[in-house]
Amino acid sequence: MQKKPTAFPLGLYGLLLFALCWLVLPAAGAPLERLAVGAACGVARVMASLFGAPAAAASSPTRALLAERTADLHRRVVASDVALPAMPASPYRQPVHCAVVGMARRGGGGELAELRLDRSYDELADCSTIITKGDALVGFLARPGHGPAVDDVPSDPARVLLLHHPAGRALHAAVDIPDGGRLRFVLRPAAVVDPAPLRVSLWDDPWRAARLDHAGLLVRSLPQVLTDGGELPAGLRIGTTRVWGYPATADGDSLTLGIFVAPVVSPRSLSHVVAWRGEGATTGDLPERAVPVALRAAVVHDLPGALHGRHLLVGCTVADGSAVVHDGCLLGLARGLAFGSGLVTSFAASRHRWSLLLMPDDPEAPPRELEGEVIAADGGAVVVRCRDVAGERLATGQLFTGSNGPHCPAGLWIGHASPRDRQPGALDVVVPVITGPRAVEVFAAEEGL
Amino acid sequence: MKRWVLWYLLAPQAWLLAGLWRDLGLPPFDAAVFACLFLGFFAERSAVPWLLVPLAVGRALVDPASLPVHLLVLGVPVAVLLPLRGVFHRQWFALAILAAALGVVVPRLGALLGRWFEQPSAGGYVDLAVVLWSAVAAPLVLHVVMRLPPMRAFGEPS
Repeated sequence: MQKKPTAFPLGLYGLLLFALCWLVLPAAGAPLERLAVGAACGVARVMASLFGAPAAAASSPTRALLAERTADLHRRVVASDVALPAMPASPYRQPVHCAVVGMARRGGGGELAELRLDRSYDELADCSTIITKGDALVGFLARPGHGPAVDDVPSDPARVLLLHHPAGRALHAAVDIPDGGRLRFVLRPAAVVDPAPLRVSLWDDPWRAARLDHAGLLVRSLPQVLTDGGELPAGLRIGTTRVWGYPATADGDSLTLGIFVAPVVSPRSLSHVVAWRGEGATTGDLPERAVPVALRAAVVHDLPGALHGRHLLVGCTVADGSAVVHDGCLLGLARGLAFGSGLVTSFAASRHRWSLLLMPDDPEAPPRELEGEVIAADGGAVVVRCRDVAGERLATGQLFTGSNGPHCPAGLWIGHASPRDRQPGALDVVVPVITGPRAVEVFAAEEGL
Repeated sequence: MKRWVLWYLLAPQAWLLAGLWRDLGLPPFDAAVFACLFLGFFAERSAVPWLLVPLAVGRALVDPASLPVHLLVLGVPVAVLLPLRGVFHRQWFALAILAAALGVVVPRLGALLGRWFEQPSAGGYVDLAVVLWSAVAAPLVLHVVMRLPPMRAFGEPS
């Protein structure tokens, strides 16, 4: 038997501990990783330069078709998001359609609870604090210099606190119960460890509430004067109920311990929201998109094993999470490396959660915001499993990116999607497969987002 | 010094070589399995942490998870295998069994760490063909690899 110091690799344990610390503070180790992996790409880069000239961009009819699709998506998203019959009594009647460019901070139920918009506080200065999507209440606009936005200045991208934000406000809400009547209650952000983002904290009729054992009941807002002087209209959809307790057994009734509420739209799937401007706003007409996103030209080469979705990007410095687009269609997301290179993971090879937009083939159907992840891929045939669709059979249509960070804007075409047989909530997506070196464009948002 | 330069130049390319091998339609294998077995049973014990770093860098070339995740995915199995070196050293059948086990453990560990640290690993799925070929090829590949530079220079004498 060897002596203990030789048998047990203390140096290796130290390295593993270092790796754990690195994962806790990823920003500290990022430059080192860029340098190490960038240097290791050197051989692949030299090899790639020997394998032919990059393919040029697609023909103009292809580009025109994709541009038309994207414009159609935008038109339908705007029409669906601003369709709000519940604000007529409010002085805020002019919708401002905003794209979500980032998400942060965990709130109730462990869900992300803060959005960053593509418009600044200055641009939304004349808006109500209420943020909606369709007839659903999404959250409240933060004020720069106050609360969670204490470090923000008016020129910063606006921050939206979702309803389950830890600093979120109590809401008055109501639910229509199946045996008739209505229960009113106060809704607060749940704890991070709770099973859903919002928690009912005070009932108008606790005895009836204790007998409530139906999940999935629609919760709507009640009229409420907000602390900042605004007024929350009644009837906005907030979410659906989740019952926490013991189900009924043969010899006893069910026991409800708590009622939670899951938001109508999954926070991670949000790609656009609507702020409401007052009539007679002083900030003038807002541009279509306030935050410019630059497009940088680069070349993508296949790495050995690229059939499995990994590519080398050469020609420009990229930020982590930048969308790489070839011929107007999403190839994947890049990770920036040193020496002007990057590594691209194709959509098919990715395994992280995506915010997606499904535009149904039926022109009357509204676009659907989804949160999904690729669970299998074989060449250009990709299976995407969507979350929070409750076994629903999704529509056939075109799949686009939703909001996936500042460098991957919503509306990039991914492929054609159809519902998967015998697997509700899953989509079969056909994405274009192109091999060989090709010219691409890389999205880069401005600094500070 | 020369052996270290060679190792840092060549070791990261092992994963690209494995990808090329697979693209050619040859039986697929997981380079991580061979890396863990080499570091766990054959490499100079004191050099293992520094040998591990370029291997993790190489895995970061083909997998979207970040470098520290790859350090853990490769380092944890090696940390488990190192104390067993005296038991399994040069027992080729046992190595084949361990290779099959690593063919399952490495992707599972990658998936687990990916979930914990929100860095999903593309190689987080167990491929039975990879497990099988890794088990079959491990003794032979390790036998050959131990005679090639730069691995030969890092081999620990029996």
